[in-house]
Order: sequence, then structure tokens, then C-alpha cells
Amino acid sequence: MTAMLSGRRPPRLVVKTLAVTFMTVFVLLAVVFVVVTFSVREQVRQAVTTSLESSQRMFAALEARRQRELVAQAGTLAENPTLKAALDTYQTEARTGNSAVKAQLLATIDSELTKVAARVEADAIVLVDMRQNTLAAAGRLGDRWPRGQPVALAADRDGGSFDGIARTNNETFRVVAVPLDFSDGTTVGMLYLATSLDANYAQELAQLAGTRTAIISDGLLLASTLAPEAAREFEAAVAATRPAEGTMSLAGESHAYRRLVAVGDTVFYALGSIDESSLSAMRQSMRNLAFIAIGAIVLALVGSITLARLVAEPIGQLSGAIARMAATRDVTLPLPSGGSSREVDALIETFSALMASLAQAEAETEAAYTGAIRALAAALDARDPYTAGHSERVSVLSVAIGRRLSLPPGDLEVLRLGALLHDIGKIGVPDDVLRKPGPLTDEEFDTIKQHPVLGARILRSVPFLARHIVIVELHHERPDGRGYPNGLRGNEIPLAARIVHVADAYDAITSARAYRRARPSGDALRELWRCAGTEFHAEIVGALATALPGVTSDSAHAHALESVSHA
Amino acid sequence: MRRTASPLVTLLALILIAAPGGQAPETGSVTGRVKLTTRLRGTALPSTAYPTRAIGTHDNQAISEIRNVVVYLKDVAYRGALAPTTAELRQEHETFLPHVLAVTRGSTVDFPNDDPIFHNVFSLSSAASFDLRRYPRGQSRSWQFPKAGIVKIYCHIHSHMSATILVLDHPYFIIPQTDGAFELPNIPPGEYTVVGWHERVGERRASVRVERGRAASVELSLPVEDPK
Repeated sequence: MTAMLSGRRPPRLVVKTLAVTFMTVFVLLAVVFVVVTFSVREQVRQAVTTSLESSQRMFAALEARRQRELVAQAGTLAENPTLKAALDTYQTEARTGNSAVKAQLLATIDSELTKVAARVEADAIVLVDMRQNTLAAAGRLGDRWPRGQPVALAADRDGGSFDGIARTNNETFRVVAVPLDFSDGTTVGMLYLATSLDANYAQELAQLAGTRTAIISDGLLLASTLAPEAAREFEAAVAATRPAEGTMSLAGESHAYRRLVAVGDTVFYALGSIDESSLSAMRQSMRNLAFIAIGAIVLALVGSITLARLVAEPIGQLSGAIARMAATRDVTLPLPSGGSSREVDALIETFSALMASLAQAEAETEAAYTGAIRALAAALDARDPYTAGHSERVSVLSVAIGRRLSLPPGDLEVLRLGALLHDIGKIGVPDDVLRKPGPLTDEEFDTIKQHPVLGARILRSVPFLARHIVIVELHHERPDGRGYPNGLRGNEIPLAARIVHVADAYDAITSARAYRRARPSGDALRELWRCAGTEFHAEIVGALATALPGVTSDSAHAHALESVSHA
Repeated sequence: MRRTASPLVTLLALILIAAPGGQAPETGSVTGRVKLTTRLRGTALPSTAYPTRAIGTHDNQAISEIRNVVVYLKDVAYRGALAPTTAELRQEHETFLPHVLAVTRGSTVDFPNDDPIFHNVFSLSSAASFDLRRYPRGQSRSWQFPKAGIVKIYCHIHSHMSATILVLDHPYFIIPQTDGAFELPNIPPGEYTVVGWHERVGERRASVRVERGRAASVELSLPVEDPK
């Protein structure tokens, strides 16, 4: 109602249901999105932490085995008799100082060490004498261990282990150390299998642990597989405290880290980027969510359209039926059967009841009107004894003619009432003119000629009789244009008016007047035929002629009319 | 090393000065005792993480560490002829027995193999560099040591086997008794440096004055841990 007042049509029902369902779906999706985002991030954080944890366990196991193997390998290497003999002899000779022999012994040691180095994977194999100085070194990075340089081994906390860290020439090595000893308990030196803690080692470690790695030694980052910026931040955050595990933001990315193993002052860390891992997981769940969203939208679409149709279709049918009803002014037209929903059924039922009562009220009103009009017509006819029953007869005749011409029932009904009222305007014609036995003066005839217009004016005040006015107003028009009041010609005259004109003339001829006797039906028809085409429409006269045998008879004129009116 | 020796030397000198004189033969002697003290300095090396190769049940350790000490006079110009002797260094239970041997220059050492396995004897020392090849049980090889010095002996098959032969160019040496007591007889009078030698600590010295017909007493302290 308000929409109509503001000049805008309200939206269609389907638009509204779509809007409501889509709103619901979007709110639902938004909530799911938020929940999924948070839960995925949390899950990924846990997954990364768990994977680091398992990495650590696995790495610890692998590392322990690796160290055991290295120690075993070193132990086997340390049993090289030539190496031991040369070392022991060299250290004995060092006191007496025969340089030629010492040089030869060193050469023996170097040669043995080189042979040994070829059999191990260590970056350097180093022989350390009893004074903890480097005596000889071989291997890829053997040159980092110059002869005579003191070596300090930062051993692990449990002193029994041979796992330690040694620094030389700014390079840090992880060292497995075994003593070179004899069965009498004499130890003559140590053999180091040294692995450089450089980028290669970090890389290997990363592959072994399946994560990123960083090696922190003595407060400094030795090597890592992190990006340089992240590595710097990690060094700054971790080097001093060396925490066992945690999470931190490195170069803007959230990382989880865990201490893999600590040897002396050196700690090996495994790191995992939570953001990076959650990115793929997030992408996956977003893809799933997109599928769900598409499904939900399609479902919402189908659902709301179905819903709208469910509601709109019966209502549309109902409104269509009502529109037809309004167009035809026929409240008895059938309404849709319903059955779609209780509410629509109730609506139809109520509307039907309303229509029924409306139709009844209308019928009652019509009946009352008709009754009143009939009484009026009868009263009019009763002013002149010669015209008694005239309106009633014209009405019956007109309906009979209309029926011959196959008029629809609505038109017949209009014709019946219109014909009944056709002379209503004579109320305004004085009795002395109307009942004058003699011929009328021109002035008197003019007064008589006023009655169609007068009648029309009277009927105009009754809306219900709008369609009957033409009959009243134009029932004296003639095809040749010499009729009154408008002088219309031929087809300009409405059919109902033509019919009533003919019926009126016929009844006038067959009724007695003060100045003449009633003439028989045949005379009347002959008279009408004579004037057909000029005064009367021929097809109407024809229709009258075919209708009459069933309408009138000389003996029981009134009775015949009665039967026609009931037909 | 010297820091521990100096007060000891002073003490010994005081004792010798206070000693009463007596009737004297041509020569004097040096008697004394070697004491093994625990290591005072140095880095303790970690014990082996990897068990050394299994060695027979023979109680090698029953031989006191003191028997691996040699006491001798340092830098003695001995003019007399050195009687060549023959010593024996057996190979038994994958061990050289004895672990330390002292001989005069020109002596021959036999290396009999008493183990049911092959052994080898070799040395890389400047005093004697040799390789006696592998030989089985029951066989013995010998080597003569014409040059004074420390000769380290090893087995090329068993890397844990080692022995030391001190080749001296004078007869004034002795391996102490298990209680540490020793006596070096028939020493011409004069000032000497007495050395207690152990392969792990090298020489520990003490000055001594040998007087005719008298026994100069000296006490040597070696920072060697006795396994027992």
C-alpha cells in the first residue's frame, strides 16, 4: 500500500525470498569462513609443532645412531697400528730430538692419516697429541687444522661422550673424538673426526630433519637454511637464551622452532614456517569452502525460487481469477481449486464466501432495483389505461427478439430491464398531453419527444443502470435518421435500442388506444415490414417475426407473454 | 716438572751432606725408592667410549706399574767394555712382557711368540728401526740394539700392543722392585743425576753425590697413576 502510494511497485516475491535466503547463506558462509580461518591456522600451528617434535625425535635417534657409527668408525680407525706406532714413537723421539727421524715419523703419520681420511666421510680427520695440539690433519678441510695449534674441545655436558665442538681458524667443527691408546692404558693421542658446521651441514641437517635448520654456536649463527633476514632475526632472538622450543615471527612470518640437539655451546634448531604451511592448508580449505558456497548458493537459488513459486503460484492464480472476475464483473466465475496450502485455501475460501455474499447482495440489490423499476414502470403504465402492461410486454418482446439474435445472457438482462424502463421519461410528461384522446399539437408532440432524454437523465443518477441508459435514450431513433432525440442513423443506433424500438412499435400497434381499436398481430407485422429500413431495422423486424409465434396469440396474449418471460 | 723436582733435590742434598762417612771400597752405590704419585697436572682425557679389543683373561695388570719404571744415571761416560747380554720380550695374551725392558748397548733381545696367533714386531724409533715380520706361535725372532736410545716396540697386527726398550750405553740402570726400592751398585764416586724414567712422564731427575764405599740414598717421585 505504501509502495503504491510512493509510486514504486513492491518487488516480486521471488526477489524477496532470494534476498532472504542469500542473506542467510552469506552470513552462514561468513561465519564458516571466519571459523575455518582460525581453526586452520591453529591446526597448522599444532601440526607444525608436532612435526617439529617428531622431527626432533627422529633426528635425535638418527643423530645418536650417526654419532655412534662415527665413534665406532673412529674407534676402528684409531686402531691403525702404524699410525699409533708412529705417533707414540714421534712423541718419544720429540724428547731426544732427532729431527730427521721426527720428520720421517711425521711423514708416516701424514700418510697414514691421508689413507684413513679417504675412508671416512668427515670433513677433516685430525690427530691431536698429548699436549692437545694438532699434530696432523687430513681430509677436505684438513688445512684448517695447522700443526701445533692448540685444540679445545667443548664437550657435551656428559663428559663421557666424545661428541664435542672445536673451533679453529674461525671455523667451527663438530667433532667425534677417540683416544689412541694401548692395552696397558697408555693414551698417546686423540683422533678427531671433524665435520664443518657450515651451510652444507645445515643443508644436510635440514634434509635429515625435514625442516629448516639453524646452527647457533657460542651466541652466533653459524649456518642456516633460513632466508638471511629471518636468520638474522632468529640469531638475535635465540642466541643468548637458547630456548628449547617456541614460536616467533621471523621476517614477518610466524615460525615454530625446536632445539634438535645441543652439543657443548652449539645448538641445532629445527624451524617450520606456520604461515607457509597454513597457506596451502588455507588454500585447500578455501577451495572446499568455495565448493560449499557454490552448492549453498545453488541450493538457496533453487530453494527460494521453489518457495516463491509455491507461494506465488496459487496467489497468482487466485489474483488472475479475481482479475477475470473484475473484468467480466461476474463474481460467479470459478476460483482456483487451491490445495497448495492451508493459508491459500483459507484465502480462497474466504474470498469465495465474500464473493458469494457480494453476489447475493448484488442480486438482492438488483432484485430490489428491478422490483422498484418494475413498480415504477407499472405505475407509469397505469397513468393511462390504454398503456397498462405496455412496459412489461415490450420487455418480454425485446428479450424474445434478443434471444433470436443470440445475444449473450448479460445483454439480454440489460435488454429486459432497459425495455421495462424505456418510457420512464414519460413521468415528466403531463397527464393531459399523455392522455389526450385527440391529435397532438406540435408543441404537445415536442413535449412527448422529450421523454427519452428525460428518462436518461433520471437513470443517470442510478449507477447500476448505466448500461440501460442508451436503450431509454435512443429507443426512438430511426435508421433513416429521422428519429429523436439525436437523429442517429443506421448502425449508429445501438442494437438494444433498435430492438426496443421495434418491440415498442409492435406493442403500440397491437394495443387499443382511446382513438382506435387494437389491431391484430399480422397487421402490425405488415405495418412494421412496410416501414422496415426507414423507421425500423429490417433484421430486427425479421427477428420479431420469427419470435412472435412463440410470444403472442390472439386469444391468450398475456398468457403467451408470460410463457416467453419464463423461457 | 722441574718445579716439583727442585725441592726434592734440595732435600736429598741435605740428607746426603748429613750422612756419616765410613770405610770405603773403590766404588759407591745409589739406593733409593721410586714412588708413583697421582698425576698432579694435565688434562684428564676421557675414558674410552668404545671398548678396546678384547684381550685375554691373563692378569696383565698384576704387574705393578712400578715395574715399568727404569732408574738410571744420566749422561754417564762409561769407558769399560759393555758385556753384550740377551734379554727376552715375550708376546703373550696379546701383550709384550715385560712392558718395559732396559738393556745395554749391543745386547740382543729375543721376541718369542707364546700366543696361538701370529704376531709382528716392529719399531720406528731412531735408535732402532726394524720389522721382524709376522711369525706364529713357538717361533722367536731377535734383534740386536747397537745404539743407545728409547726403542718403542709395536705389533703390526695388534695395534694395542706396545713395549719400550731402553738401550743404555752404561750398566748403571735398574728396574725397581715392586715396592719401589732399587740399588745401583759399583758406581765410581762423583756427582750424578739419577733419573727415574717412565714412558708416560719421561725423566724425573735427582742429583746425587756418590762417595766411595757408601750408598747414596735418593727418592724419586713419578706422577704416574698406578692402575692398582
